Amino acid sequence: MSVLDVIQAGLVPYPDALAWQRQLAEDRIAGRLSRDVLLLLEHPPVVTFGRNSQVSHLLQPDGIDVFEVERGGDVTFHGPGQLVGYPILDLGAYKKDLHWYLRTLEQALIYALALLDIPAERNPGFTGVWTRRRKIASIGIHVKQWVTWHGFALNVTTDLAHFDRIVPCGIQGVQMTSVERELRNGKRETVWRESVDAVLQGFERAFGVSVSHSKECARQSLSFRTAHAEPRL
Amino acid sequence: MATKVHMEALSPTMEEGRLVKWTKHEGDPVKSGDTLAEVETDKAVMELVARADGQLLKVMVPEGTTVPVGNVVAWIGKPGEKVDGDGAGAPAPKSQRSAVSGAREDKPAPAPPSASPRAAPSIPANPSPPIAPADATRVKASPLAKRLAKDAGVDLKLIQGSGPGGRVIKRDVEAAPTASAATASAAQAPAVPRTADRAPRTGVPYEDVPLTQIRKTIAKRLAASIGPIPHFFLTTEIDMERAVEAREALNQQLGEAGGKISFNDIIIKAVALALVQHRACNAWFQDDHIRYWNEVHIGMAVAIEDGLITPVIRNADQKNLREIGAESRELAGRARNRRLKPDEYTGATFSVSNLGMFDIDQFTAVINPPEAGIVAIGSIVAKAIPDGDRVVVRRRLRLTMSCDHRVIDGATGAVFLKTLKQMLENPLAMLL
Repeated sequence: MSVLDVIQAGLVPYPDALAWQRQLAEDRIAGRLSRDVLLLLEHPPVVTFGRNSQVSHLLQPDGIDVFEVERGGDVTFHGPGQLVGYPILDLGAYKKDLHWYLRTLEQALIYALALLDIPAERNPGFTGVWTRRRKIASIGIHVKQWVTWHGFALNVTTDLAHFDRIVPCGIQGVQMTSVERELRNGKRETVWRESVDAVLQGFERAFGVSVSHSKECARQSLSFRTAHAEPRL
Repeated sequence: MATKVHMEALSPTMEEGRLVKWTKHEGDPVKSGDTLAEVETDKAVMELVARADGQLLKVMVPEGTTVPVGNVVAWIGKPGEKVDGDGAGAPAPKSQRSAVSGAREDKPAPAPPSASPRAAPSIPANPSPPIAPADATRVKASPLAKRLAKDAGVDLKLIQGSGPGGRVIKRDVEAAPTASAATASAAQAPAVPRTADRAPRTGVPYEDVPLTQIRKTIAKRLAASIGPIPHFFLTTEIDMERAVEAREALNQQLGEAGGKISFNDIIIKAVALALVQHRACNAWFQDDHIRYWNEVHIGMAVAIEDGLITPVIRNADQKNLREIGAESRELAGRARNRRLKPDEYTGATFSVSNLGMFDIDQFTAVINPPEAGIVAIGSIVAKAIPDGDRVVVRRRLRLTMSCDHRVIDGATGAVFLKTLKQMLENPLAMLL
């Protein structure tokens, strides 16, 4: 079974995380990184545009950072309480098929939400993960030479009011939700940790990998962050 | 000799990709491995990478255009080198497809960049609809369209293609009436509801069917009548002689290899296969709709020290008896040791409860919501059975199905049980 190194990086400013994952992907393409990596983190509030974005989908541009990036998809919001995952995977070892990858990412999150007792599903034609007809996770990916970056954003305790700034993913009338809102009888204090655990288990099951919290990787990430970012904690 | 850069497939079913951005421009030097452009499909962006060194001589399509997979989007070569497309801007000569199949619907096609003024004229301004030859036995269709047509039971020959060169593409198939829609009403007995069809193998795990007025009324009235889930029970007696023989033969075949087949494994397999044929019983009741599952996940009630739990054998209809046996033993073992993960005991679409090993002749099981049914298996007992003028001894099994009346009606459950009975009485039927 192949191993997925997990780096839990905490709160990382968007441009730093972008540079970091691009670096990891280049390293993976060049073979300097021998194993796949899953970056798990949060961003300070930010709006990002994918390659398929329309500027009109940003409704309230005031007072928030905006980035245009190379992932697929339309506009989205990131902010504290949202579990962002950037899998740096060499799809050559799985399937050279981006639709397979999108569906498997969705499956990982559906498994994760099932562990939290939240029934989740796909909405055919609208990439992402949905529960009770509301959208709980967004997905947008990028691949070069079959190595992926960008990934998913799962609302855990996200302040959902931020999504009013945008037309999420360009889908008119979409209602966003979060793990916290959908939990019927969960303990709210532990929801973040439980969500992270569930996502890791979901990845193990959907991708058939085993998750490792590599010290080596953590050290690299620390040196990267001190070199490239000013951690705001 | 200049090298072509083709639109690449991001997945095996992809027919065309939207070139969203050129990251290199005409005249730029490129090395093998450099990113030339970005291609998007759905929520995925892929980098189109140079496979040769030299200069990006010519860009054939502007940003924002949708290009069929395999078409030439650019040329790489030595500075000053002539490329095929230089004269007429022709697409790959081997292909009849045009270079550009059309821009996004919501925007007019952007003008080609001025640096490549001749890239676009190869596209007919208004392609006339192709005339299909009357005796066409070979139909031009994309691989995706062929697959969709096969799944939907649509005859490609009857579809007018709207793709390049009259090719039948995905949207043509989707717009075509399906064969089953045309013949369904004639072919089906009136009493069998539409949901009793075999589960379609389309890759879609289930279909949500809104409650009709009559179903809503049935749900309300029956629930008011007996508790939150209005159960009713159907019992049938099954002749197990041939299943006993089949099991003995299979286990002899397996020999010392281990992993013996149990009756429970045979029953789970038969239930799963019968559910594929009777989707009406493979369903969840969900407040305002019924979820009819196209996948079959069998919950298997396992007694544990102070209660019971139902680990799930997923896609049991697609597993063979050895796989079901191995999986159910493994799951039951971990269930008793309380080592099951939540996703291993949730998500069943139907359940089986077996008390045969406790010498229970017959019993009724309580439905595990939101599932709509469960079968209760008694022990296999030798009985004297009239056979014409004689009395013969046969091994028999009494099986009782509990049905949620909000989802399953008496006749619906009975038809399912009939199929299940046939499969167990003639295990070879499972091979059909």
